[in-house]
Amino acid sequence: MDELYNLDHLNMSEEELFSMADRDELASERITAPRYSYWQSVFRVFFKKRINIIALGLLAVMLIFIYVYPLAIGYDAEVDPYVNLLDSSTKHLSPAAAFERFGFQLKWLLGAGASGESTFDAIWYGASISVSLALVCALINMTVGVIVGAIWGFSKRVDAFMTEVYNIIANVPYILLISVIVLIMSASFGAMVFALTVTGWIAIAYFIRTQVIIIRDREYNLASRCLGTPITRIAMKNILPFMTSVIVTLAATEIPSYISYEVFLSYIGMGLKDMSLGKLIEASQSAMVTPGWGFEFWSPVAVASIIAVVLYLVGQNLGDASDPRTHM
Amino acid sequence: MTKYLISRILRAIVSVVIVVAVVMVMIYSFLDKQSIFANDPVYPKQKGNAKQIYMMQEWERYGYLDYVNYTEYVQSLINSGEVSQDKYDAHVSLGKDAVGATAEAKSSVQKFTEYYQSQGYTVVPMAQKTGAGGQPRLYAYKDIPILNRLWNYFSGLIKIDNIHTVQEDVGERGLTFTLYDPAYGGEKFSPAIIGNGTRHKYLVYCSDSFPFIHQNLLSINLGMSYSVNKNIDVFETMTASQGSFVKSTVTYPTGWVEETADDLHSAIHSPGSLSMGDLNQRYYVDDYTSVTTVKSGMSKMGYSFVIGILSVILAYFLAIPMGIAMALKKDKLIDKLGTFYIIFIMAVPSLGYIFLFKSIGSTAGLPAKFDMQDPTWLMYLLPIVSLALPSIANLMKWLRRYMIDQMNSDYVKFARSGGLSEREIFSKHILKNAIIPIVHGIPASVLGALTGAIITERVYVVPGVGNLLTEAINSYDNGVIVGVTLFYALLSVTAVILGDVLMSMVDPRISFTTKAR
Repeated sequence: MDELYNLDHLNMSEEELFSMADRDELASERITAPRYSYWQSVFRVFFKKRINIIALGLLAVMLIFIYVYPLAIGYDAEVDPYVNLLDSSTKHLSPAAAFERFGFQLKWLLGAGASGESTFDAIWYGASISVSLALVCALINMTVGVIVGAIWGFSKRVDAFMTEVYNIIANVPYILLISVIVLIMSASFGAMVFALTVTGWIAIAYFIRTQVIIIRDREYNLASRCLGTPITRIAMKNILPFMTSVIVTLAATEIPSYISYEVFLSYIGMGLKDMSLGKLIEASQSAMVTPGWGFEFWSPVAVASIIAVVLYLVGQNLGDASDPRTHM
Repeated sequence: MTKYLISRILRAIVSVVIVVAVVMVMIYSFLDKQSIFANDPVYPKQKGNAKQIYMMQEWERYGYLDYVNYTEYVQSLINSGEVSQDKYDAHVSLGKDAVGATAEAKSSVQKFTEYYQSQGYTVVPMAQKTGAGGQPRLYAYKDIPILNRLWNYFSGLIKIDNIHTVQEDVGERGLTFTLYDPAYGGEKFSPAIIGNGTRHKYLVYCSDSFPFIHQNLLSINLGMSYSVNKNIDVFETMTASQGSFVKSTVTYPTGWVEETADDLHSAIHSPGSLSMGDLNQRYYVDDYTSVTTVKSGMSKMGYSFVIGILSVILAYFLAIPMGIAMALKKDKLIDKLGTFYIIFIMAVPSLGYIFLFKSIGSTAGLPAKFDMQDPTWLMYLLPIVSLALPSIANLMKWLRRYMIDQMNSDYVKFARSGGLSEREIFSKHILKNAIIPIVHGIPASVLGALTGAIITERVYVVPGVGNLLTEAINSYDNGVIVGVTLFYALLSVTAVILGDVLMSMVDPRISFTTKAR
């Protein structure tokens, strides 16, 4: 029997002989499939649509005009709108008339407003306020709303309590709340953010709660819970990936809605005191009915609309792309 | 189900009460009381003590605090017989420093101070100031605690008129039933119940207008207006008709017949009004002289509701076929057009597209302004369509989503493999399932029509109810703010409950009782 194991008589080196291979525990678990990276797939799907590239380009141009242009020309909201205040020949000019009066410059592309200011400059400066407001509010409301909504959806005890809280907060008139806060804190940017976020998160939280409840009791989560997975891990690994597309889609609708809401509040006289887009629209309202002055009114409306549409489009399509079911 | 509904309704009532409490705390505690004088023309003209008194009186009117003047107190002592009428002057005349010069005044001031301090009031003696100070004054005030405020508000919400409502002497109190209403001349058959001692003269009466039998027995007091519609209740403000007068032949209680817009059925008791002027004596025989007028237009709520409900009907009428078509022809032209429309409405600020629509409409020759004096059917068109634009987009978006979700579900695949025709699958299965969440929203949109629309009504100058809240906030009309809030909150909780009930009626699988689950 020993001869079978004694291979010395074969006169072969150690390398030439068969030897036991190491068993790689990990390799046996590996599945042969193309490499899949979630975010890479999101962007692959996103950029496959040509409209998204156009929208993204447009968004970049918009953002440059909103945030870089006012800085580049050194726009001063205290001084610039009133430079031509005393010169009556500069007021309410159509673009053609403004070019004739001031020469061919970019800033007169949209004509001149009620106090002889450049509508073009005023719009981009106003847009920087409005878009910042929308972004800050959306960020705060989304963060708080998603976290609270997740807890709200998970815990039945929290659900009973929060539903009543929701019934109360949702019934306090939003306009009243905002006007009271603005009256107490003055109509500054910070007060406006506070007013829009102090109860604004609850609608998002309610929406997320419903989504969480739908997914919470699916079979795979039940199985996961039976196997003893901790709740936080279920939330992070089982439910959050499902929610990514919902959250991105929600953000896409939220940001334009804050721009719209800011315009609305300014229109009813409860908005910011800074010259935001809404305030510009409100201020030029009377110009709309005067023939020939319509440009002053429609330009900020059009810019607000374009910004909102582009943000919405990019967000919606990013939301679509972040749904793993579209990655096939 | 009944048990569940009752508990839902009770919880809803509790949350409505809390909403009103929150709003009361917000407007009465957080806001600076001083701000009501911002647009007051009288305030800057007042000086010294008079200014203090004026501020106190205004704050009491706006409902911030309870204010008692010393002279009122002395008057109440006289009314109760503690002090005789001829001693009034002695009691009222305060010394230079408001603590009393005469012995009578001293003792009264003492009692006044002790009584109101024990009640938790702050008693303020004001000395005579040299120059523009005026007389010495004495008054007491107390902030109304939130619970008292809430209790007072809700206990006074519904008032039942009875023959002991009027405090003054009105002769023999009682109710009379007549088959021939004297306001129509006493010959036409028209039953009515007339009261004496009640606030309203006519408690029940009939007329030619809808709903034919009217009552004044129950009245709803949502909150008294101070500046928006002075001394008129919010509910009255919302429901009173507007526009130009409508004259008809009216027989007054004295038998005087005149062509007038006065509505005798609205007569309420106004103490001492008969003896005040000859004019009243020509028309009336008692103190029920305060009447409203008949007007041609609808009420604020009426206009808002007509526009709102028609736009809701229009929205469902257009959006349901559109949503279905989009889902059936997914990724085809109609779906793309619909998506474009939805994106447009979702993203463009509502102000933007309403103005755009208005300018399109007025270029097409449609009336862009609401004119109560010269009403035409066309002037309703633009507001109705403007109001329907966002709801159409919303309904389309969700119906398309629900339909597509249903189309991909397993039971549809099964039905198809079982050989059902597409038409059958669609109308008997997909639509039925997809329409359920849409049904849930119907009560909310119908009741929501009652609250009016802020932007649309402003843009088209509709005399509706939508701007009442913003108007009240801008003029610090606290009574109106609270009243409108209560009204909105009631509507919204009712809408949610009705929506759930309607949904469980449409879909028998949905049950709100825990037993069935």
